[in-house]
Amino acid sequence: MIRAVSFLALLVALAGCRPSAADFNGTYLDPPMPAKDVTLAAPDGPVQLSDFAGDLVVLNFGYTSCPDVCPATLATLARAKQLLGEDGEDVQVIFVSVDPERDQPERAANYAAAFDSSFVGLSGEPEAIADAASAYGVFYEKADTAATTEAGYLVDHTATVFVLDREGRARLLWSFGTDADAMASDLRALTRSS
Amino acid sequence: MPRALKVTLVLFVGFVVLAGALYAALFQLDVRPRLGFAPGFSLTAADGSGLTSEDLRGSITVYTFDHAGNDDPVRGTTPVLRAVKTALDTEDTGGIPVRLVTVAFDGPPPGRLRDAAAAADEWTWATGSPDALRRTVRDGFGAYYERESDGTYRFDPTFVVVDGLGIVRARYRLGLPRPEALVSDVRSLVREAQSAEGTLGLAYEAAHLFSCYSVASP
Repeated sequence: MIRAVSFLALLVALAGCRPSAADFNGTYLDPPMPAKDVTLAAPDGPVQLSDFAGDLVVLNFGYTSCPDVCPATLATLARAKQLLGEDGEDVQVIFVSVDPERDQPERAANYAAAFDSSFVGLSGEPEAIADAASAYGVFYEKADTAATTEAGYLVDHTATVFVLDREGRARLLWSFGTDADAMASDLRALTRSS
Repeated sequence: MPRALKVTLVLFVGFVVLAGALYAALFQLDVRPRLGFAPGFSLTAADGSGLTSEDLRGSITVYTFDHAGNDDPVRGTTPVLRAVKTALDTEDTGGIPVRLVTVAFDGPPPGRLRDAAAAADEWTWATGSPDALRRTVRDGFGAYYERESDGTYRFDPTFVVVDGLGIVRARYRLGLPRPEALVSDVRSLVREAQSAEGTLGLAYEAAHLFSCYSVASP
């Protein structure tokens, strides 16, 4: 009887320590979902997502000529990282360009670093980018030729932000418009639970 | 915070979660596992408009993959999807959109795709360039197809159910599934979406933890 009660108490305590979907502003995936490791290009050479194992990876797809969604998202992520303070040290934001035609690795890297020096910007060959995007369910394509800006054509793309846990599994999804406080709160909950 | 209060709080939270798990176990909440992200894609629908994975975000979508005009009763996917559509037409999904999509991997010309769509009770049919189809159908959804030298197609009838977040929740690759199984998948996702908030939402999350990965899709 004592054993049974102790076991139940342990279960209750463990369950109480686990974060649940209700603790998050984004969509919390529990159990985490396997996510594909992908290889892309940084200015210094190829980079794999698994290179960041041990960090919480915040993965965002966009392009450097984007007039609205991408800069807004990266600015929000930069603010969220500021809000995290020391808790943000093992949070790694990765920006993946879906515009390989214009975004060479260096350009993608500089663009991401302009928002926060710790942000990593990646690009790559069209095939590699297509593989990476497909692995995360990200759609992208050049918009109609009529829709252009001073910087040239626009690219329609998925604006969801993905958070991978320290083992590289998908843990959390944020839709576009999630604010910095909400992101910081979610990341804090994740950093403290893992 | 006093120690007694802390203990009480931990026990209370633990009790709520445990109660959710017990609820899930006792009432056997019917959840479908999250199998992975469905691929992002951009195809062309039978009416000539674009169809992207983003257009279907927020909908529960049943995908299948076939060549246009396939009326093979054994390997054709159309009769199955027609039965699913008939069942879902009378279903109250509480405003949660449910979409059925057949991707024609043979890249038929627009007229033939329109004919196939019309013959199939007008659910969404789409196709695309050979490269887009390979990436979407074979690489993305994992549905095998191959064009034979005589112009016919060898393929495994595949059905994939995707939730509103773009996550694959059920996949059938070994023969044609029973329409009831697909309808049951959709019903399960509808219930889950309707219960996303509050205590029942917690129970569903608990059910994911405790039961779904031991219960294979039918």
